[in-house]
Parts: sequence; structure tokens; C-alpha cells
Amino acid sequence: MEVYVGIDVGSVTTKFAVLNEQNELLYSNYMRTQGKPIAVIQEGLRDVAAHLPSEALIKGIGTTGSGRMLAGVVVGADVVKNEITAHAVGAAHYVPDVQTVIEIGGQDSKFIILRGGIVVDFAMNTVCAAGTGAFLDQQAARLNMRIEDFGPLSLKSKTPVRIAGRCTVFAESDMIHKQQMGHRIEDILYGLCEAMARNYLNNLGLGKEILPPVVFQGGVAANVGIVRAFEEALKTQIQVPPHHHVIGAIGAAILAHEHMSLDGRVTKFKGFGISEVEYTTSSFDCKACSNVCEIVQIKMNREVVARWGGRCGMWDT
Amino acid sequence: MKVTLPHMGNIYVAFSALFRALNIDFVIPPPCSRRTLSLGARHSPEFVCVPFKLTLGNYIEGLELGADTLLMAAGPGLCRFGYYAKLQAEVLRELGFQFQVVDTQPFEGGRITGIAKKIRWLANDAPWPKVIAAVRFALAKIAVLDDLERIIHCVRARELVKGTATKVWQEAIRAIDVAADSRTLHQTKTDYIEKLGSIPIAEDEQPLRVGIIGEFYVVLEPFSNGDVEIELGKLGVEVARTMFVSEWTKISLFLSALGLSPKREIFRAANPYLKRDVGGDGWESVGETVLYATHGFDGMVHLAPFTCMPEIIAQNILPTVSRQSDIPVLTITCDEQMGRAGLVTRLEAFVDLMRRRRRAPLHQGRGLNLAQSRKGR
Repeated sequence: MEVYVGIDVGSVTTKFAVLNEQNELLYSNYMRTQGKPIAVIQEGLRDVAAHLPSEALIKGIGTTGSGRMLAGVVVGADVVKNEITAHAVGAAHYVPDVQTVIEIGGQDSKFIILRGGIVVDFAMNTVCAAGTGAFLDQQAARLNMRIEDFGPLSLKSKTPVRIAGRCTVFAESDMIHKQQMGHRIEDILYGLCEAMARNYLNNLGLGKEILPPVVFQGGVAANVGIVRAFEEALKTQIQVPPHHHVIGAIGAAILAHEHMSLDGRVTKFKGFGISEVEYTTSSFDCKACSNVCEIVQIKMNREVVARWGGRCGMWDT
Repeated sequence: MKVTLPHMGNIYVAFSALFRALNIDFVIPPPCSRRTLSLGARHSPEFVCVPFKLTLGNYIEGLELGADTLLMAAGPGLCRFGYYAKLQAEVLRELGFQFQVVDTQPFEGGRITGIAKKIRWLANDAPWPKVIAAVRFALAKIAVLDDLERIIHCVRARELVKGTATKVWQEAIRAIDVAADSRTLHQTKTDYIEKLGSIPIAEDEQPLRVGIIGEFYVVLEPFSNGDVEIELGKLGVEVARTMFVSEWTKISLFLSALGLSPKREIFRAANPYLKRDVGGDGWESVGETVLYATHGFDGMVHLAPFTCMPEIIAQNILPTVSRQSDIPVLTITCDEQMGRAGLVTRLEAFVDLMRRRRRAPLHQGRGLNLAQSRKGR
């Protein structure tokens, strides 16, 4: 059996997806990156190896997400793709006529407009984290509830309160204020969902033509309260595709499949053995000019395998 | 007296030539760096644009090297740039620096002789023919630089070993800077055209072509835009722009002063969307997008300093232009908070978008504007 692997190394979570020749999902996993991307990539790979049938043969591997370069070096990726393209490809795989993709992850959010299966427009928000998973996690923790219960509870709301959602700090103090006023918790939660949807659409949706089908993916799509808030704001039905939390990894695997199907290419995958190899990252300040760029270098068994980070490209490998 | 001036691309090469020819003592601040930016940002109002912050940093670094006379651009325009000289001088005085300001008010009295007189004054009232010869030589240097840069844009997208053209370009700038007379200058130009011509390139490539538009400073100073042209070149994209240092000098220092505008075509193209000058380069950004689209470009990269009013106006009009002219536009907001990783991700996604559009000619996707979300902090 021939399979393709996609790895999405995000700021908060790392996702793996394994597809067969027909691009059907065989296995996926979802782990916290916890600031140790290499260890998590190695662990994920061990996990994938353990769950694959013994006859499975990896024909191609793709990486995406903010850690795509690092992951690409560690595993020996055939394709290293930005997360916009990977998410668009993944979304179009499940909803072929998709025209709008909302993606909200742990720390950033994306908005992708497709027409006829190709991306014609996109926006990314990485500066403000007011509408992302990390913030929702934090609020759930503050209210002493499980993040899984957040969505269902918020749907019980009958009279949602208005929360100032432009900035996480203001949103939080506004929520506390509403709590002190005695508002019900579900009304505050749904108010927060509405504020997040509003903030997202104002920031990323600016000047865009939002047409159905609208697909909502990323970890936050698991929250039914946010889904409802988007449906109300856009006055249209929203589809949450299966495996919505690993769509980026699925997209990366499909891109790897596409890439490898061209004229008999051979994968650069370094094999499952790399999960036992010692990788170390370090950084240093380049003193060659006044920019003093921070250069990151990756060593595999004490041998430098990659370097990047400079403005001038003098260290790039 | 020791003169210094801020950086904007390679404009320092011209001024160095001018100062040398007229025996004016001067010092060029170190190239824009993270230090320049953090020095500038620390002493600037927060919401002022990045050109203000970087040039303020340049002045501080120039003063640290012993300068006592600051050459400042100023003048009544429709954007707040016209006021920057006064404000920067104020900030620098409060920091305890002692200096005199020579502002190059290009529009003073609507007469070009204003600048020339100031240069002559700096040169200790040198005879006019000497001043004119020096100015002409300085302009010749910029013209050579710009001619070479156009070739660089072309080679960068096609070169087999990425980074080669940029290295040759750095060498060329140094060689042009030291060229002491017209003959050497022309020889240098010929040499480098040859050198660039001998860089191995992929012959049959039809690279994506992207037009660069936006506010002139962030377009011309690579440090301020995260080396967007080099990054696009690495991705195999050929860039083009109408804004070059020589053009800018010619237009803003000479033609405008004489009441001429060579931009009629651009403004005419902008007319269906925007009928008047909104300050800075907002009108140009709109008009150039229309023109690039008619020339079959694959996309536009629109560079706007954070909080730049003219470019915000342009950014809000560009989605309509983009839809009607069927050309995708990516707006990049430039300031000290700009992250390289974010920039590269956006450029990569934009390049993917343009590649897929090209591959799907039947579906000439309706290119919408890629207005980046406004920065929240």
C-alpha cells in the first residue's frame, strides 16, 4: 500500500495525516506542540509508524504551518508549503465547490476565498489573537470549565450580552465586568462567540465577497457556539468538514501526492529511523553587519543540516 | 561643517558624488538596520509612519558619527511628510544634539533654483558651472544604478543559483559609488551589464510578473519593506515598478517644481475610481494597478506604511480595481512590527495563487483584493 503523509506544525498544535492513493484519510493525530516542535514531530512519526499496516510504503511527505521549514528539514519533506495553500487544498478536498474558507487555529486565523477551486484571495491575522483557540482555552480555564463544554453551554443562551471583542485584554475585562453584573454564564459565553465572529469578519473579511459554500475548519471549528455565531453573522449555513482539525495536514499530504505523481519522483523522506536521531537547534547572532540577524541552526547528530534567519541570505542552506 | 542625510535606497550614492565634487565634508550614516529602526522608533510618536522612524534613526546615527548639518526633505505636500523635517529636528534637539538643518524644499516658490542655491551655499558659494556639473554627475550615477536595477529584476527571477544577482548588485553599487568621473562610471556600467548578462539563467522560463506599487519611501528602501523584491525573486517572480530613485528625483525635484507632471497616464487610468490626488502616492497606486493589469501582469504587491492615510484610501479602492481589472493585489503593511515569517508566508501564498491562476486560463478567477487585515495591537 502506498501512502502520503502530511505534517502541520502550528504554534499551538502539531497535526499528522496519512492518506492512501485515493487521498482517503487512513490515520491522523493531533498533539500539543508545547514549544518543542522537533520532539513532537519525532513522537508523532513514531505514533504514525505504530498505526500503519506493515505493508504501507511512504511515497511522499509534505509539511506546512509555521514550523514547516523545520519539519521539512527533520523529516526530509518533498513539499514544504505555506498554510494558506495547504488549507485551501484540504478544504476543496472535502467540499469541492467551496468558495469561502474560515480557518481558526490556536494562534492565528485565516480567510481564504476560492473560485472554481483556485484561491483568488486570502487574508491572515497573526498580530491580534483575540479570535483564536488559545484565547478560548484561556477563558474556559478562567471560568473553570472544560473547553469541550464551552460550545454546548453557550448555545443555551437566550439573551447574549455584548462583549467588546477587539482585543483579548479588553474582551476579558469586559467578560469579568458582565459576570460581576450578574449575567448568566451562557449569555456571556455566547456573547464572546458573537464578538469573536464579528472581530474576525471585520478584520479579515474586509472588502471580500463571501459566497457559499462556507467551510469552517481548524481547532476552533469544534466549538458549536462559534459556528452558530458565524452562521448568524453571515446569514448562511456553515459546513464543518470531517477531520476539520487536521485539514492543514491533509492538504499538505495531498500536495505531496500531487508533487510526487509528476515524472517518477522519489521521496526524500528520511525514514522512521529519524525519530530516534538526536536533533538540536541553536541560534547565534551574525556579526557580519549592523543588522545582527539571529541565525537558527539545526544539527542532526552534531552535523549542521540547516540554517536560516538572516536578511542577506549568507547563512541560508 | 559636516553634512549627513537619511537613506532611501541608493540615493546616498548620488549625494556622496555631489558632496565629493564640491568638496563638502559629509558622512553617510550606516545602512538602515535593526538598530536604526529601534533608535528611530524609540524617539518617534507611535503612530507616525515607518519612513519617519527610519530616517530619524539615520539622523541619530549620522550625528553619532560627527555630523552637524542635516539635509532634510520637506515641503508642502498633501501627506504629513511635509512636516517631518520640523518635527524630526525638534525631536533631535530634545535629545541634546546640536546641528543646523538644511531643508531641500523642492517646491519653494515653485522654483527649482531653490535647491540648487542651497547646494551652492553648502559648497561655500562655488561657481555655478561647477555646481551644475556636480549635480549632473550625481544624476548620472542614479541613472546608471536604476538601469542596472531593472536588469537585476529580470535576472533575479530567472537565475539558476538564487542570490547571485543580488551579490553582483551589491558589488555594482560599491563600484558606482567610487567611480570618480564620467568615463569610469560608464565603464562600470558596461562591465556590470556584462557581468549580469553572464549569470546563468533558466532560458525558457516565463516567470510570474508582479508590479510593485505604494508609498515611495517603502517602495524604494528595501529595509523598510522586508526586502520584498529579493523575497519575490527567490520565489521566481520578476518584479517591475515605475518608482525608481531617478524617476522620483526627476519628478519630485524637477518636473513638479516646474509644474509638469509626467504621470498623466497613471492619473487618467485611476480616474474611474479616484478622481483626485489624495496625498502621497495613493492616486498612483490606483492608476498603476489598472495599467499593470492592461499590460498582462500576474499580480500587484501594494506596499503601505502602517497608518499612511493616502495608501489606506488606495487600499480600500483596490478591491474594486482588482475585481474589474482581474488582477490580484496583495497589500503589505510596513512598520517596525512587521515579521519576516509572516511576510514570507503571505508572499508564498500569493505566488501559489498567481501560479494556479495562470494554470487555469479558462477560469480567469475574479481576482479580489488581498487587503491584509489592519494591524491590531
